[in-house]
Amino acid sequence: MSAARFLPGLAALLLGAVLARAVELTVGFNHLLVAIALGFVLANAVGVPDRLEPGINTHKLWLGAGIVLMGASLTLETVLEVGGLVLLVVVGVTTLTILVVELLARNVFGLADQLGSLLAAGSGICGVSAVVAVAGAIRAREEQIAYAAATVLLFDAITIVVYPIVGDLLGLSDVVFGVWAGVSMFSTGPVVAVGFAHSEVAGQWATMAKLSRNALIGAVVIAYASYYARSGSASRPSVRTLWDEFPKFVLGFLALVALASAGVFSSAQQASIENAYNWLFVLAFVGLGTEIQLAELRSTGLTPALVVLLALVVASAVSLVTLSVLFGT
Amino acid sequence: MESTRLHRGVVAVRSRWADLERDWQSVAVGATTVAAIAIFELQIPW
Repeated sequence: MSAARFLPGLAALLLGAVLARAVELTVGFNHLLVAIALGFVLANAVGVPDRLEPGINTHKLWLGAGIVLMGASLTLETVLEVGGLVLLVVVGVTTLTILVVELLARNVFGLADQLGSLLAAGSGICGVSAVVAVAGAIRAREEQIAYAAATVLLFDAITIVVYPIVGDLLGLSDVVFGVWAGVSMFSTGPVVAVGFAHSEVAGQWATMAKLSRNALIGAVVIAYASYYARSGSASRPSVRTLWDEFPKFVLGFLALVALASAGVFSSAQQASIENAYNWLFVLAFVGLGTEIQLAELRSTGLTPALVVLLALVVASAVSLVTLSVLFGT
Repeated sequence: MESTRLHRGVVAVRSRWADLERDWQSVAVGATTVAAIAIFELQIPW
């Protein structure tokens, strides 16, 4: 495997990142949203050329690395200040979302059990990654995976636009907006993007809330695998599943939170680390934009989209009210 | 001789990298960035 095949795509990501930053400096639009828009235009106006694909597909690696580095700009004190309450909200909203999707899918709209479970995992935990992880555990069919993934991507695209508008209209505080996005939006990339587009603090809380949610994936996969194993349509899960599904970059993030809390980094070093993760995020979001492909979104079924829309509205409203009561707007 | 050893080193690193899960690759990129900033006092502009 030649490293050279990644270079054209990486150069495209870098070019997009520099362009997004230049647009922010000259016109004032948020660089993260501009980065997503650039990727979106590339993918939907001309299509991503084959030779750019390997490099552009590395965008999740840069997002993970950016999240790891973000740990250096936080301290345990900040996290513990409101972290306990946030964790409770994360667990509560995740459970609520999964239950609402399952209930609507099975009892109201009559979708297949497996498709309902994939939609529930995708909306409750971490988007397409959760869909794929749960699909393996419940032996879902290929077309069900594609349907669920397309539905999650559709709502990723919608929430990237809607959340910042609602956040500004309601004048939400940084903590409330960040945690709200972190507990109710679907995939990690869009959560980080709208969080940091609102403010630095909102971005940090959005990411922390989302990471806590992502960390629940192992438990959810085990729960689903156990449930479907009883009906004979899946194999029994092992404890190893918990570790296999755990998002490992969270460990890197926590290690940097610990180092920053111990005062290992000077302020100059912290500023450089902060700038590094800002660049990594812009790189990642150019790639994320290329994943929003209108042709694929059109293949989303109306009923799955309606189920997820209703669950999103419920989870979003409940979490926003809860957070506003807990932290004020 | 030196170049052969260098080539083998690069091949070994590339093979280790390819074996890593993407999440661990992210941790490795993060750790390398922090190490470069801390050891070489690297200044990253914004």
